[in-house]
Amino acid sequence: MRFQKLGRLGGAQKPRTSPEMSLQITSMADVFTILLVFLLKSSATGALNVTPSAGLLLPQAQASEANVEAVKIEIQETTIQVEGVPVTTLSSFLPDGSDRVQDGSLRSLASALERERKRQILIAEKNPGVKVDSRILVLADQRAPYSLIKSALASAALQGFTDFKLAVVQGD
Amino acid sequence: MIQSESGSGSQDFDLNLAPIIDCFTVLITFMLVSASFLSIGILDAGISAAGAEQTDPSRQPKLTLAVEITSGREIRLQLNDTGKARSGSLDSRKLDPVKGEPDFGGLQGRVEEIRKRYPELGAAILSGSDGTEYKDLVRAMEITRRFVPNVILGGF
Repeated sequence: MRFQKLGRLGGAQKPRTSPEMSLQITSMADVFTILLVFLLKSSATGALNVTPSAGLLLPQAQASEANVEAVKIEIQETTIQVEGVPVTTLSSFLPDGSDRVQDGSLRSLASALERERKRQILIAEKNPGVKVDSRILVLADQRAPYSLIKSALASAALQGFTDFKLAVVQGD
Repeated sequence: MIQSESGSGSQDFDLNLAPIIDCFTVLITFMLVSASFLSIGILDAGISAAGAEQTDPSRQPKLTLAVEITSGREIRLQLNDTGKARSGSLDSRKLDPVKGEPDFGGLQGRVEEIRKRYPELGAAILSGSDGTEYKDLVRAMEITRRFVPNVILGGF
C-alpha cells in the first residue's frame, strides 16, 4: 500500500511553490495607461481655470463653456473675494451696515474693483495691444440673496465692469 | 560565414516596465491632485442700469417681458409695450409656488406661449425681491434665455 503524505486538513499536500513571486506589471501598465488617458482628457485646457473656493456652492444651469479671462469675484457666505483676496466680510450673506453706500454698492468691494480697474488702465497705457476689459466673472453661492448680488453688481458697474459672466455648474 | 541571430546580434529584448510604471505613478498622482471634475459654465448677464446701449431709444426693444421672483417664491410675469401704437401692460400673470419651489415649469410654458404670440419680443428683465435666492434667479434666467436671448437683471 502506498500512502500519500497528508496535510493539516487531511488532503493531499500540494507541491511547494518557489518562494520568489514575480510581479505582473504588464496589467498594471495597462490600467495606468487608461487612467492617464482619462485624466488627460478631463483636465482643464482653457485659458482660464475657474476653481471655486471650498464651501462655495454654485447654482446649476445649462450654459456655454467657461473660456473667458476676466476679473473674478467670489461671493461666499462670510466673505467677498476679488481675484482670491478677501475684501468684504459678511455675516450669513449680510454685509456690515457701514459698508453700504446710498447708491446700493459696497464701499470695500467698490474700492477693490477700482484698484483692479486702475491696474488695467495702467497696463493698457503701457501696452497698446491690451485693451481695458469690462468683463467680470461672478462666482456666487446659490444661497446668496438677490440684495447682495445687486450690491455686488452695482459696485462692479460703477467701476466700469458692465459685462457680467455668471459662473454656474453645468447640470446633467 | 553568416553569424547566428541567437548570439550578440539578437533583435529580441525584454521591455523594462518598471521605469514606465514610475513615470505613470507620478503623472497620475499629479493629474489627480490638479484635476477639477466640476464642469463650469458661463451665463451672460447685463444689468438694466448699466451701459450706454440701454439708454439708446432706437435700440430699445418695443416689447419687454418682466419676470420677477418674490421671496415667497411666486413668479410674476408682465409683458410691457414701450412702442407708440400700444402702451402699458399687455399681459400679466402670477405663478404660485409648487411644493415650496418656484413654478419653473409654468414659467417655461408661459414664456414660450408669449414668445409665440409676440415674435417681436426683444428682451426680458429678470428681477427679484431682496430675499430671493440667487439659484432661483439663475434658473429663471436659464429658462427665459431659451426663448428670449436678451435677458438682463433688473431691480437696480
